[in-house]
Amino acid sequence: MSPSNSSKKRLELEAPERFRPLVDYDLCKRCKKCVNECSFRALEFVDGMVKPVGGCVACGRCINVCPAQAIEIHQVPSQFPPHANFNERVRRAIMSQASSGGVLLTSCGTDVPYPVMFDEMLLDAAQVTNPAIDPLREPVETMTYVGGRRGQLELNDEGDRFSMGDDPAPVVGMDMPIMIGHISLGSVSYNAQKALFMAAKELNILAGSGEGGLHKDFHPFAGNVVSEVASGRFGVTGDYLKRTAAVEIKIGQGAKPGHGGHLPGEKVSALISQTRMIPLGTDALSPYPHHDIYSIEDLQQLISLVKESTEYKVPVGVKIAAVHNVGAIASGIVRAGADFITIDGFRGGTGSTPRIIRDHVGLPIEVAISVVDQRLTKEGLRNRVTVFAGGSIRSSADMIKAIALGADAVMVCTAAMVAMGCRVCQQCHRGVCSWGIATQREELVSRLDPDVASARVVRLFSSWNEELKEVMGAMGIDSVESLVGNRDRLRYFGPNSKIAEIMGVKHVGEGWG
Amino acid sequence: MRIPREGCDEHIVPRDITSQVNQPIEEHYGATRPPKLQYQMGGCGIAGCMDLSGGRLSGDKIAKMLETMGERENGLGAGYACYGLFPEHRDDYCLQFLFDNEDVRCRAEELLESTGTVTKEERVYTRRVKSMRPPFPLVWRYFFRPDPKVEWCGRTDLSDDDLIVQLAMHINAEMPGAICVSSGKDMAVFKGNGYSYEIAEFYDLSRYSGQMWISHSRFPTNSPAWWGGAHPLSILDWAVCHNGEITSYGINRKLVEMAGYRCSVLTDTEVVTYLWDLLVRKQRLPIPIAAFALAPWYHSDIQRLDPESARLAKWIRITYKEAFLNGPFSIIVGRREPEVTMIALADRKKLRPLLVGKSSDDKILYTASEECAVRVVDQNAETWTPNAGSPMIARVGRGILRDGTEQPFTGVRI
Amino acid sequence: MTSDAGHEKATKKHRDLEPPVRRLDDETVVVKVDAQGAGGRPVHYRILNSLIRKLMVDGVKHIVLEGVMGQRYIASTASRKDLYIEIHGTPGNNLGAFLDGPTIEVFGNAQDQTGNTMNSGKIIVHGNTWDVTGLAARGGTILIRGNTGYRVGIHMKEYAGTKPTLVVGGTAKDFLGEYMAGGTVIVLDLNGDGKRSPVGHNLGAGIHGGKLFIRGNLEKHQLGPGATMGQVTDEDIPELEIALQEFEKAFKRTVPRNWENWVKVQPTSSRPFSGHYDPTCV
Repeated sequence: MSPSNSSKKRLELEAPERFRPLVDYDLCKRCKKCVNECSFRALEFVDGMVKPVGGCVACGRCINVCPAQAIEIHQVPSQFPPHANFNERVRRAIMSQASSGGVLLTSCGTDVPYPVMFDEMLLDAAQVTNPAIDPLREPVETMTYVGGRRGQLELNDEGDRFSMGDDPAPVVGMDMPIMIGHISLGSVSYNAQKALFMAAKELNILAGSGEGGLHKDFHPFAGNVVSEVASGRFGVTGDYLKRTAAVEIKIGQGAKPGHGGHLPGEKVSALISQTRMIPLGTDALSPYPHHDIYSIEDLQQLISLVKESTEYKVPVGVKIAAVHNVGAIASGIVRAGADFITIDGFRGGTGSTPRIIRDHVGLPIEVAISVVDQRLTKEGLRNRVTVFAGGSIRSSADMIKAIALGADAVMVCTAAMVAMGCRVCQQCHRGVCSWGIATQREELVSRLDPDVASARVVRLFSSWNEELKEVMGAMGIDSVESLVGNRDRLRYFGPNSKIAEIMGVKHVGEGWG
Repeated sequence: MRIPREGCDEHIVPRDITSQVNQPIEEHYGATRPPKLQYQMGGCGIAGCMDLSGGRLSGDKIAKMLETMGERENGLGAGYACYGLFPEHRDDYCLQFLFDNEDVRCRAEELLESTGTVTKEERVYTRRVKSMRPPFPLVWRYFFRPDPKVEWCGRTDLSDDDLIVQLAMHINAEMPGAICVSSGKDMAVFKGNGYSYEIAEFYDLSRYSGQMWISHSRFPTNSPAWWGGAHPLSILDWAVCHNGEITSYGINRKLVEMAGYRCSVLTDTEVVTYLWDLLVRKQRLPIPIAAFALAPWYHSDIQRLDPESARLAKWIRITYKEAFLNGPFSIIVGRREPEVTMIALADRKKLRPLLVGKSSDDKILYTASEECAVRVVDQNAETWTPNAGSPMIARVGRGILRDGTEQPFTGVRI
Repeated sequence: MTSDAGHEKATKKHRDLEPPVRRLDDETVVVKVDAQGAGGRPVHYRILNSLIRKLMVDGVKHIVLEGVMGQRYIASTASRKDLYIEIHGTPGNNLGAFLDGPTIEVFGNAQDQTGNTMNSGKIIVHGNTWDVTGLAARGGTILIRGNTGYRVGIHMKEYAGTKPTLVVGGTAKDFLGEYMAGGTVIVLDLNGDGKRSPVGHNLGAGIHGGKLFIRGNLEKHQLGPGATMGQVTDEDIPELEIALQEFEKAFKRTVPRNWENWVKVQPTSSRPFSGHYDPTCV
């Protein structure tokens, strides 16, 4: 990751390239599409040939556009002498900081190989003593409601008829237990956000607007949008709050606990300057914390303010990063009046964050969601709130396990981006995303067709929902309510039995008794 | 039924088998919960009968019904609940216990005497049945009135019903060797470890008559079996006989534990019993609403209801999603207050059999897992199945209020 | 636990002796299953069924069973085409399972799993049957005078002219004809008011062969995945006639041929779930 500095003298002290696009000159048609499409300027057409000139980040755009399949991205073997402790990553970081003197900035979710507990758990299936259910032919329900939980239903006392009074609380229904997480206009392009909103509407689920406000062009999607009140309060007007289907107060984000939003100046274009009402080209660094929330009773105040401002018509929730005390924090948040809580695990993605925070701070969502579910149950609060889990939900398997660990629904961001073209190259913060997703440059943004991209996201989540039904059916469960927090249906298959105990998950081989 | 417990292995203790040729090797426990409970399958039989006109039925009838379905049991548990049993003690709670020894009985009795008045106590009549194996717990019965001014765990605001619930759960959880098998007024549960006809003989059910009987015979696949684990499971005047297995057990259990119930029998049926008490007695939901919460309609069917019913159905599902009983089940539920009531409910996919019948003079109501159980006591009964997820509700003196084929929120409010 | 040890324990509570058998003539035999009366112990099904098998082998062509009360598996795998078993009482589950030829006639209600995986033969019930009737049947005929329950006619199959037929005189509940791959199911609703549908939901869920004919109301939302509804056509009538005439003969009832009030349900395709799977991911 070399800083964008073309001085040849500086370049000699930089770390070697990690990736090099290799062109097969026999196949190459000299159409120069790759050269034009590479937004990292890693390819040039020189002497009648396409040549790599450094700066490739393996975003894969050139491969995608080459009509002759003539390009291969080559992962350059490490040019560093091998050392297990002073590994390549560490040496590169030192070299970079010695040059820049800056806090390393990165994006996407952490790529450090911490253990992934999702990959160490197996799901149950029903056999003999309990029938499996066939979701292709028998109803298996995945409808999920957000908000609306009061623990008891009051009925009218009216003779022989059964009836109830007004709706006890605001609630929003989603056809499947998936929400597209908050991705701000700014961190991603207009076309990308449009695609995500279109997908949410088509699937009848919710999508977060992120902390960039809701562009007026997107008002038709507001019924499927969750607005975000983050510390920068960008775009947070009364209209914004009242228009959307739900409101989420963002206290934290899994990728950068303790930090606010971070939009580098490269991405503050005219559009962003207008929507966020900040100077062109400035870094939009949201304050942390919210300066009206210094304690739990302040949060209660803000929640009440938002509820009052929305006339109690929409669910109001809180998003927190998973940190060590997440159980107690979640409990406090429910008592402060939140209708839903989103727990964002440390592996979550982001458009921009200091790498030190991304890679070293927080808790994995698997543990966080189990702890929160157990804690809320112990305090008798679990049926008063809807809980979302997010932070690197990569597949339907992760989603199913997250629900079984205690989440009512999951929040997914990176997977949706990958469906739209993203290759998780960790360059979002530079604002030159060649797929037109994490950029504001018009010539790049126009590469992303919202219709095509939204159709891909719709297909992705639809197939995940079908897979959820396949697994639930196999377990003999015919509605997703009966999977939420059903940790008995998981078994831990990893090396660390203490973590299994903390998560409340039995070991493989342990039966019901 | 399923009995989840941390860290258990299968533990079969070899016995002297010479005295019991051809008997499977297994452990038996009385009122003490076995130290290593195992997962127990549901392949059971359930049956119930009720005299809708308020007359009395002898225990012979229900025993016959259950016995005819003998293929559904394997001798490791059966039980009967009788309602309308003690009209002369109508206002006293009848606490019926299984005790492993005199010692624990005395301690339980002391506890009762410190929280109220025992108006009568007696040993429940039992007979030695040759084919049944020891241990045989002491079966005892106390007619009890709680002291309204007593303090329980620092609280003086508990109603009589709540205090009885606390007492029963406390004894079950904190006194090993004692199990309170029923704690309602004017009813009692007779159950144990044996075939249905053995248990009927053990208690000599023919000496009892009541307005309603419900019963259960069991087919667990792993030993050990214990007397406390047989059905019906009961708290206050609720008794539940359950055929099937609840896949949502962990979630349902969390809900009842959040509401203050203590699970000590550790079967899914125990949770079902607490759920009925929570939803109907504590939250005062009408029975059809509670039944809908336990076996809700599909969202696609809810949308086709009229708008008010659809809204109500949606809010029941949202509010009570942790009460949803997933998995196959047929249950027969008995209740005493305000009148003797029987509820029969099958899961919404109808994966377990459930039949309802009535005599040709409309006086006697029957429920059973199989038709033969009804035919054997009444050749001319009319039989039908309630719809999946739709409760049959009948009440002494009022007849069959819902036959199980209605729309969810129409008809008589109960 | 389903071992013989447990089983022997079970048989101890039943009569050890065979029920009395009375020969009426060379070919006809009457078995008084409940000879002990209602107060005595019922005959265990193993004893009853082995008696029936013995009688079959002995060449008996007509067996009358009186006082049947819940005995299971009666006539399972029976294969003599000329055998006729007459049952009075309530046979237990799995009556005529794997039946391959004989005719069984029940004067009373039957229970669950009647005609389970039957190959050929005929089962006539002058009453109701309950759940899972005709499961995976490959041939033969089941005629029910009254109603039937849930999950009836699941995965019935046919091949080259051998096909099962199930006719229900009353109503059926949810999941009728689920996974059907062949055969014919007919529901007549003879006691209904013509307004309420005689079948439940998820009708023909996953059907990929065979047909169902419903005499009465059916709405689209009652159909399961892969099923489609339409009118009875002239091609259907000969097959329907054969089945209905058998029904009428067995129960001495007339079935109205008001074809315009009938609905035919059949598969949308023989591969209803194509497109559901992605075989290409690597």
